[in-house]
Amino acid sequence: MSIGEYFNFVFSHTVDMFNIVENEGHGSVWLVFVIGIVFGAIIQYSRVDKFEKIAGFAMGKDTIIPKMLFLAIGITAIFLYFEIKMGYASYHVKPMTLMGLIIGGTIFGVGMAIMGKCPGTGPISIAEGRVDVAVGAVGGLFAGWIFTKYYDDFFKPLMGENYGNTTLVDVSGDNAALFVLLFGAALIVIAIVIPKMELFDGDDLEQLPESERPDIKAKKENESFEVVK
Amino acid sequence: MNRRLSWWMGGILMALLLLFTFSIFGANRPIGASTYVPYYAGIIFGMDPQDYTYLQKVEKPGAWEGVMLLGALVGGFFTSVFVTKTFRISVIPAGWRAYKNNSVVSRLIWSFISGFLLILGARLAGGCTSGHFMSGMSQTAFSSMIFGGVVLVTLLITGKFFYKGDTK
Repeated sequence: MSIGEYFNFVFSHTVDMFNIVENEGHGSVWLVFVIGIVFGAIIQYSRVDKFEKIAGFAMGKDTIIPKMLFLAIGITAIFLYFEIKMGYASYHVKPMTLMGLIIGGTIFGVGMAIMGKCPGTGPISIAEGRVDVAVGAVGGLFAGWIFTKYYDDFFKPLMGENYGNTTLVDVSGDNAALFVLLFGAALIVIAIVIPKMELFDGDDLEQLPESERPDIKAKKENESFEVVK
Repeated sequence: MNRRLSWWMGGILMALLLLFTFSIFGANRPIGASTYVPYYAGIIFGMDPQDYTYLQKVEKPGAWEGVMLLGALVGGFFTSVFVTKTFRISVIPAGWRAYKNNSVVSRLIWSFISGFLLILGARLAGGCTSGHFMSGMSQTAFSSMIFGGVVLVTLLITGKFFYKGDTK
């Protein structure tokens, strides 16, 4: 592929992306774009895209992520059940490819702890000027390339058998409403009772007067420091 | 203190966005945020979808998330510039300095490796924090609960051993 052909390829496939979305029937391009804007704004405004939030959770020093995540899931689980019951939405359940879930989840957890981001919060950090995350995104693109290239020969067999797209709603039969309510309520309670712990992120530190900043103090005295709130 | 949403306000707003996106008034599908990566990789590395079964498989969800991602970049950028005022070019996060080291090279190498692991893991599992945790567990899917459990364990173990514990 020459350079000219490459740019043509990139351009035509980017145009395709918009056409596919427009014709797919899952919202117009503008609606999907606006969903993205709101998604980015919520994550940015609650500042859960910060390294100190996700890596801090991994270290057991910050609990904003699990609190917000479990609350969101609990509320959505309850209302989504009724939304679907009323015919305003439907299920889109991911398959139970057990080996893929376990191997993938393990690798994902390691990556998330070191990067301090997940694939959804990463781009929002890049939009905020975080160079390290942009480098991580390049790593991610390489992973996407390798996964695509060796999907048939290596990754698909590795992911193993699909044990069905089962949900709690399926197995609880007539009591589904009750079980979903309990599931959602339990998650909301968990979100509330997890003790609130917070680390300063870099921007919190910049707001502090210099005399109170643990990082500057440590630099002067040449010792290690904590950024606990 | 900086302007920020509390965890419960963020959680409620995220739930509303999920419910809207799921509904027929929204997109009639869940939110996901990792299928766009192989989709973009396919474009950037010049891979023709006709030659790769995986690209054919993710053609539609990849495109949808690809457009959503563009929105997320715009939303994240404007919020960081005008609302939280946290936009700045930075390489090492404060927490990395405190609990790992001061080296730019170390942070960038680990970023590359962890970015690679994140996407490889998400693709093997078929989803990420958005697709599995938020959208999947909201549908009470067992696949997502397994993913969530495994991620929680390895996240906490990695956090314990990768970073310095008590800096005394």
